[in-house]
This record gives sequence, structure tokens and C-alpha cells, in this order.
Amino acid sequence: MPSELFVIGVSWRSAPVSIREKLAIHDDELESHLASLIRTELIDEALILSTCNRVEIYGCTSRSAPASAVAHAAAETRAFFSKSRGFPAEKLSEVLFEHLEEDAIRHIFRVASALDSMVVGESQILGQLKSAFGASSNYQSLGPVLGRCMERAFSVAKRVRTETGISRGAANVSSVAVELAKRVFGELDGKSVLVVGAGKMSALAARHLRADGAALIRVTNRSLEKAERLADEIDGIACAWEDLEIELSKADVIITSTGSREPVLTKKLMKQAMKRRRYKPCFVMDIAVPRDVESAVGKLEGVYLFDMDDLERLVSENLKERSREADAATSLVEGEVRQFHQWMRQQHVVPTIRSLRTHFHEVAAAEVEKAMRNLEKASTEHERQEAMQRLGKGIANKLLHAPTTVLKQASDAETLADSVSQLFSLDSEDKSEERGTTPALNQAGLAETAGPSKKA
Amino acid sequence: MAAEVVTTPPQLAFYVAMTFYVVASVLHLSSLAQVPPWVKQAARWTVIVAFIAHGVDIGWRGVEQVHPATSVREALGFLSWILVGAYVVLSRRKGLSVLGAFVAPLALIVLATARLSPSGDAVTGLSSLGRLHIASATVGVAVFCLATVVSVIYLMQERNLKSKNFDGVLFRSSASLETLDRLSARLVAIGFPIFTISMMLGGVWVAQREQGFGRIEYPIAAVTWLAFAALMLGRSMRGLQGRRAALLTLLGFGAAMLVLALYFLRRSVGV
Repeated sequence: MPSELFVIGVSWRSAPVSIREKLAIHDDELESHLASLIRTELIDEALILSTCNRVEIYGCTSRSAPASAVAHAAAETRAFFSKSRGFPAEKLSEVLFEHLEEDAIRHIFRVASALDSMVVGESQILGQLKSAFGASSNYQSLGPVLGRCMERAFSVAKRVRTETGISRGAANVSSVAVELAKRVFGELDGKSVLVVGAGKMSALAARHLRADGAALIRVTNRSLEKAERLADEIDGIACAWEDLEIELSKADVIITSTGSREPVLTKKLMKQAMKRRRYKPCFVMDIAVPRDVESAVGKLEGVYLFDMDDLERLVSENLKERSREADAATSLVEGEVRQFHQWMRQQHVVPTIRSLRTHFHEVAAAEVEKAMRNLEKASTEHERQEAMQRLGKGIANKLLHAPTTVLKQASDAETLADSVSQLFSLDSEDKSEERGTTPALNQAGLAETAGPSKKA
Repeated sequence: MAAEVVTTPPQLAFYVAMTFYVVASVLHLSSLAQVPPWVKQAARWTVIVAFIAHGVDIGWRGVEQVHPATSVREALGFLSWILVGAYVVLSRRKGLSVLGAFVAPLALIVLATARLSPSGDAVTGLSSLGRLHIASATVGVAVFCLATVVSVIYLMQERNLKSKNFDGVLFRSSASLETLDRLSARLVAIGFPIFTISMMLGGVWVAQREQGFGRIEYPIAAVTWLAFAALMLGRSMRGLQGRRAALLTLLGFGAAMLVLALYFLRRSVGV
């Protein structure tokens, strides 16, 4: 019987973090959990995805299981999930979601494409899914159906990323700051950064800039001790507050995040710094509230000033853009889901098709052999014609005998008859009467043999 | 002596080039919005086809003795071809395909203006020196034209950043300010020596023809040269860059365009 896919789990959509953290499955538990799952009678393949935003189990029923097994397999997995996490089944059912068959494929493809992520289009989930796939492969819990589904999911995710703008534009304040700096400088390789103030946000932004190639990070603060501490944290150099003007003139990127109630970077100060650096472009990111930089600084030649509101506005516009692109990505995913589901359906009927072909060929071969013997004996043209007619009649009767008997005796004869009509593209009774049966079939008595299916 | 009119009817390649320039312009302009990647690819390939057809047209006219240095209108057609060729080379770099939204329509307008305007008289007394002057001036101005397009994009993107206009045209599709500024500087550095040689050849040519230096075009051409000379000097000696450099490029190219327009009018309409 056919294998079917199912997904059960919790995600940021269905459960708060307080529950997700209780249900999280750690890496060192994967092997035993996967082994337990595929040991059950109904499940052949399994994969566990456990991230901060979701804990999900993907499974595939065994080939020997009956068609209705997928619901039972999902129920078994649910029970296993509840037991293994020590979480009451009733409570779990409140936050747990379940997808079967085509819906399961859709869910897996959407997760891989980051359409189901909290931040649509984020890139982390694909890496996490690939790790889960790697772990399941290592523990040999993947087979031809779920394994292929996962590989297809990765290629769908790639298509979504390249063919739609779902991942375009940064989606958090620190990344947006880097994105804006890149619009001024292109690459940040070799650019010098000055962090004014020793807040946590500026440290985060500085780390992002460092990851993108910023060479030298200097930190200045009214308290040199705090500056040194932050400089150590981000692998930078602390410098004295008194040298602020000189440091400003050296920096390509300035991040300000002091706790000052008055602006620290005044127009006058920045004007002198810009003159000193011959108006070479300077990117200023003011993430302090209240702001550290006078807004008039943004009007100076070569200065590109952005404050927290600007960065958040760009994040929101990028997210809007991503959600617009999500529609295109969804239709792309739907096309892929249909294709994969079709492939699964084909896998279900392949053994039947193979048996049918073998059976038909065997019948035909036996009848042809009989006809050859008759032809050898035939001496006249009439006898040869009769031998050929017997061949046709013999093949048709042999092939029709079993289905006709089943059709006549079946309790759901009408459904079966409809299927036969569909399979053999049989016209309605009226049409066949209009057209009439061929003389050859009448002669061979086949019209009568095929009668029940037509009448039905 | 009656002036000789040098022209030849447009060939198939010309119409192919024009058609593809129209399509390329539409595709490039639509690429300024968020479009699927294939639109950008299609835009680039359409420009390449137009460039090849345009090259065939120029070659054919050369065979017919109507080469680029024959007249101002031929020189203009050649100028747009060089412009497109330079774009095709540059467009492979990230963020520079946006140049196509300016170059393709510009090439279309310049080529159409050059070919569809009255043919006018051929340049009289065109010696080898004169041909060299026209050819080198055309190449120099084409390179300045591209530098100007880059500077215009720089100014538009700078305006987007300064006014925090995150929805602005080019904001998401353009290369960074630093890349644009560096590219403009390099193009001017390539165009300037060619243009300087062209000025010198032109000076000798005019002196040989004993027509004097009284025409209005000559001081305007000198303004072009001076603007670009100041830009080169400013960049190397005073660290001139960014907005000021972009504006100076526009000034120099504006003067060059004025010279070309005056020549064009003189030759086409006989002003």
C-alpha cells in the first residue's frame, strides 16, 4: 500500500515560547527519538526539526500499512511526543498542529522556503532544516519518500529565494544599518568604525559591521573604563573622550548610543570633522534615544545620518516588500506541492501498472503461440482468417474474464463500473448504440462479453 | 563650390537596432521597479542585440563611404554606439545594470536624432587630421557621456539617502555611492586624454584651414576641457569627490553637448 507523509508539531504560531522550550528536542536526544519512531509498525521514515521557533516531527507511513494508517501514525507520533517530553497529552493537543498527505508536503515546503517563519524570508530556517536532514540521514531514519520530499523542499526554497524577492532587504535594525552603510560604501572591507557610547545596541551594530568586513573599530565613552570593556568585547580599541573630534574625522562609520540628554555630535563638531576628512563620505547611525546627533548634521556634505526611526521604517518597508513577494512565493510553492503530490500518487500505482503490463504481455504471448500453431495447420485463406479472428477473440476474452467476473459480483459494482469506463475511455450506452459494435466483435461474441461494463 | 551631401538610405540593420533599442529602453526602465530577474537578463540581451545591429549598420555605412567622421550626424550615431558598448561591458558588475535605464533611451534618442534629421552638407575640406579630430572627439565625448550618466545616478541616489527616501527610484537597484563616484572618476580619466588630443588636433586643423578661431563653439569646447581638467586636478590634488565632482562632470558634459548641438545645427540646417 502507499506511503503517506504527515507532520505534527508546535510552532511560534501555535504555542508560546514557554511551551516551545519545554517541548524542544536536543541534539543528543535525536538518535534515540528517531530510532523509537521508526521502530513503530506504521512509521518507516522520520525527521525531527527543533529550533527556537518550532518543534516538528515529519514522518512517512510504511508501505505495508493500510491506506488509513496515516491518521493512526500521526496519533502514535503525538503520543510519543507527549510521552518523551513528559507533557500531558490534553495540554499538548491544545497547541499541537497536524498535517496529513498533501497538507504535510505543503507545510514542509513552506517551512523550507521561510514562508512559515516569524520573519518571512529569513535564511536561518533552511540551514536548520538541512542540519535536521543531515542528522536523520546519519541515524538512517530517512527513506525514499521523506528523503526525496526534503531534497525537493531544499530546491523549492532555492527557487523561492532566487525567483522572488522574499529575502530582499534586511529585517532587523542592525542588519538594516549595515545595508544602508553598504549603499554608501559598497563593501565595508577596510572601513573604520567609531562607536560613541558603550551601550548594548551599539555593540550589536558594531559586531554586524565587523562581520561584514569593517576593519578597525574604535570605542569612545565618557568613562574610559566602560569603553575599554566594550572594546574588549568586540575586539576593538578604546580611545579617550577628549579625542572625539579627531576620531570623528577618521571614522567612515559612526555609531552613537550614549545616555546623554543633550546631543553629543553637534553640527559644529561634525563640520570640523568633515572638513578635516575632506568631505569623504561618513555614515552616521544614531541609535540613542534621546538622539545623540543634531539633525542638522544630516545636511552637511558627505554625511549620511540615520536615526532609530529611519532604521525601523526601513525594516518595516522591507518586511512589507517581503510579504508582497510572499504571494508570488506561495503560488510557486503550490505548483511544487502539486508536482510532488502527483509523484507520490504515481509511486502508489507503479507496482499495479507493472503487474498489469506483465499480465497483459503473458496473455498475449500465450495466445499468439496458440495462433501460430493454428496458422501452420491452416491450408486455405479462410482458415488463416479464422485463426487470426480466434487470436483477437482469445486475447480479449482472457483479459476480460477476470474483471468481468469481479464486476458482476462486486458489492460496489456501480463505482467499479465507473472506474472501468474511465480507465478504458468507454462512451455512454447511447453513444455505443449509435455507433454500433464492429462486425468483427459481434462475430467473435465480444460485444456480449464486454456488455456488463457498458451497461453499468 | 556646391557642398557635397554625403548620405545613404537606412538599411535593415538600422531598423533592427532602433527596434531593439526601444524594447531595451522599456525593459531597462521597468527594471527600476522590483521585477523578476529574467526581465533584467532580457533587458541586457536586448541591448546586446541592438548594439550588434547598430555596429553592422555603422560598418555598412562605412563601406558606402559614409563613415563616422564624415559628418556630425554620423559622429553622433557612432557616439551612441560607443556609449552602448561601454554599458554592455560595465553592466556585468553588480548594481551597474541600472545604467541601462539611462543609456538605452539615450542611445535611441541620439541615433534617431542623428539619422532622421536632415542630412545637411558634408564637412568641407575634411583632411585626415580633421577625421582624426572628429573620431577622437566622438570617443572622448562618449566616455564623458557615460561618466555623466554615472554622476546623474550618483546624485539621484545621494538625494535618496539624504532625504531618507527608501522608496525612491534607484534606491534598491543602484550601486553604492562610492562605486559610482570611483567609476565616474575612472571614466573621466580615460576620456580626458582622448578629448585633449582631439582638442589639439582640432586646433591644428582649424589653423590649417585658415578659418580663424572666431566661432562660438571653440570657447565652449575650451570650457568642456577646463571643467574636466579642473575635475581631474581636484580629484588628485584636493581630494575632490562625491557631489561636487558629480556636478563638475555635469557642467563639463553640458558644455560638450552645447558644442555638439551648435555643430549639428550648423551642419544640418546651415545656421
